Amino acid sequence: MTDMTRKPAAARGAATSLLVLFLFATCASFMALKNKTDTIARRKVPGASIIYIPSGKFLKYATFGYSALAADLIYLWAIQYFSTPTIDDRFSHLDHIFAIISDLDPTYLDPYETGALIAQAEGHDTALAFKILDNGFAKNPTQWLLPFDAGHIAMMNLKDFDLAKKYFEKCMDLPGAPEFTRRLYANALYRKGDLETSWQTWLEIYNTASDERTKKIASNHLYQVKTAVDTGRLKEAAGRFRERFGRWPSELADLVRTGLVQALPKDLDGQDYVYDPKTGEVKAATIPWRR
Amino acid sequence: MKIGAIAGITFKEAKRDRILYLLFFFAAVAILASRVLAILTVGDRVKIIKDVGLASISIFGVLMAVLIGTSLVYKEIDKKTIFTLLAKPLHRAEFILGKFFGLVLTLLVMTAGMSLIFLAIVYLHTFRIEWTMLVAVAYIFLELVLITAVAILFSSFSTPILSSIFSLAFYLIGHLSWGLELLIKKMQAGAGRTAAQFLYTFLPDLENFNFKTEVVHNLPIPAGIFVYSFFYGIFYTAFILGLAILVFRRRDFI
Amino acid sequence: MADAIKIENLKKSFRLGFIPKTREILKGISFSVKEGEIFGYLGPNGAGKTTTIKCLLGLIFPDAGTIEIFGQPHLSTRARQALGFLPENPYFYDYLTASEFLAFYADLFGLPRDEKEKRIARLLKLVGLERAASLRLRKFSRGMLQRVGLAQALINDPKLVILDEPLGGMDPLGRKEIRDIIVRFREEGKTVFFTSHILQDIEMICDHVAIIVGGRVVKQGALQDLVSEKVLFTEMTVSGVPPEAFRGLGQSLSTQGDRVFLKILEQGRVDDVLALVRERKGQVVSLSPRTETLEDIFVETVTGT
Repeated sequence: MTDMTRKPAAARGAATSLLVLFLFATCASFMALKNKTDTIARRKVPGASIIYIPSGKFLKYATFGYSALAADLIYLWAIQYFSTPTIDDRFSHLDHIFAIISDLDPTYLDPYETGALIAQAEGHDTALAFKILDNGFAKNPTQWLLPFDAGHIAMMNLKDFDLAKKYFEKCMDLPGAPEFTRRLYANALYRKGDLETSWQTWLEIYNTASDERTKKIASNHLYQVKTAVDTGRLKEAAGRFRERFGRWPSELADLVRTGLVQALPKDLDGQDYVYDPKTGEVKAATIPWRR
Repeated sequence: MKIGAIAGITFKEAKRDRILYLLFFFAAVAILASRVLAILTVGDRVKIIKDVGLASISIFGVLMAVLIGTSLVYKEIDKKTIFTLLAKPLHRAEFILGKFFGLVLTLLVMTAGMSLIFLAIVYLHTFRIEWTMLVAVAYIFLELVLITAVAILFSSFSTPILSSIFSLAFYLIGHLSWGLELLIKKMQAGAGRTAAQFLYTFLPDLENFNFKTEVVHNLPIPAGIFVYSFFYGIFYTAFILGLAILVFRRRDFI
Repeated sequence: MADAIKIENLKKSFRLGFIPKTREILKGISFSVKEGEIFGYLGPNGAGKTTTIKCLLGLIFPDAGTIEIFGQPHLSTRARQALGFLPENPYFYDYLTASEFLAFYADLFGLPRDEKEKRIARLLKLVGLERAASLRLRKFSRGMLQRVGLAQALINDPKLVILDEPLGGMDPLGRKEIRDIIVRFREEGKTVFFTSHILQDIEMICDHVAIIVGGRVVKQGALQDLVSEKVLFTEMTVSGVPPEAFRGLGQSLSTQGDRVFLKILEQGRVDDVLALVRERKGQVVSLSPRTETLEDIFVETVTGT
């Protein structure tokens, strides 16, 4: 009897061992197959998911109160999408995509910045960059960074100083704006040619400067503006002299003598301006930054 | 054969479960609604319909497999119908396999139904029966078979809610395998990386069954992957079923 | 004749709870059931009756001990082919009809088609359900479910029939029917092993009993050996005589109208009471000597342990 009862236990043990062996065999098999499938390359279509972006209005309603989350996800996806160089026409939907993100979460600032950056730096579409930043600022009128970015683009890339001035003016008094924004504004005015307002602004900056460095910077700029004003006047007078007398004045004092200029202006440091009688060029004796 | 008998009544029982028809209904609605969705897109419309259709079959198929599979074995144990069954000269392995095949048969019927609706909707748009879609569906079905095995494994020792969570976790892990691959690429060689590589090869990679993108965009699929993916699915399913049998064999039914 | 069931030193403990605490349920059960007899397995709730049966059927794996069915190891296919089982409070696939249900179990035994149909018809007739063959199990009453369960237990024409509380929750008529069926099994040469709380039924039909208390078999043997013929006391119902007359002869247990219910402990006193009743011109309504019943043994055993 004991033999009969021992056999099933042994048989059970054998069956368990067989089962465990089976498990190892199948496991080894599928792991080997996994390695095989990894080696087979499969074509992926980059940017295929673009077609799933529906209109922003619809999306706002469809996201049931999770619109901010949806904005985040779409933004994350957009970053990946626009970083994929193999998608040739990816910029054609830039406007649409960032408009959607703005619709979903108007106060999310990063997408405005990034969108404008992508538009300008990679898409070479500065109008679109401005559009994105303007849209962002319209929805977030207290955010200095957006017009700041726009001013930066205007100044550095477009060299449109009037536009730059307008943008810097918008943000220089907003909370949080860096103090040098005003200086950028003043400089934009100078570059645009509005010397009067530029001088006023630089004077204001000089007077309200809180440290020596700022004072120095303002002083240099004031020097520069005064130089521009003075040399402009002198050159213009020299030009009139030439018209009248058919030659450049031999020295600046001639202008005073002929009554074309009341008195010879001196630069901000009290130095005389340097005059070249051969070309009629008037310039300052010192370079502003070397003062 | 005994497995066949159990598969038969499992099929009978599963097709009475209302969840099945609810999910089928939602799948049908989703496929039909893809037409509406298509109007809102910025790009190609038919591609959205195909993608939504295949995604619906996949997602609702997984839900069917998990929701029904996790209660299959549990219900028998809970309602004690299993007592009379296991007192018969029936191997516990035959019981598990019977349940598995019964549910697979049910899913086959459901998948076929959903595919029919899907092909019909695509036909309305392209006026062609796009048979290539069925390639993607076939491998979606293989994925469902594997998920069914997982659901039954968990169902044999855990409550339906926990089993569902574990099964869905398996599904998620299976689709995030590429994440682990990326991580491994950034790791420095050493014990950690070897362990991670082992884990990566062992954990399921359900993307092996995903041909949706290729089929929708009419991309060429290398012939090798059909065979390798198929056997990957077969062996992994066999492994999971083996585990389920191992767990179930020596279990006491208090 | 071989033993239908032979259990030796069966032990089983369970580890239950989140912090596993071991509870020993079966502490060394030993008993045997001869072929062709009806065997009753009794015990209070929680004693281990159902655990024993589940070990027998391979639903639970014992920690120690041996179980043999007709001389075969209990998990072998030959042993399983020879037995049929009806669990307590059976629950079946309620969407199947009675015929479909039995057909499924027949398939598990691999019965050929024509044999299957004949046997199903015969079994349904045996348990009195031939008219409910096409009714879904969901619509069955408790008693009907019990009976279809019994039919399922017999689908393979087993030599050994194991029943867990087969008479529970049934009305007296139903109990009588089941009892009759069990007795018929014995006449057919089958062995029946069953548990029950209803001791009167066990007393009526069992050949052998075993009493299990706290995981151990504390008493076992032939029923007639356990229950003696000794008269414990005599119960008499008398009318027409006031209770005071019986003082000293017996205990008056209750009075109803002019009837007095007496319990007479000494055998000799019975004749005295009868003489008194005749003298007073009363009437003996009933007289029954109470011998030791199984219930007495049971209560004595359980409370004594």
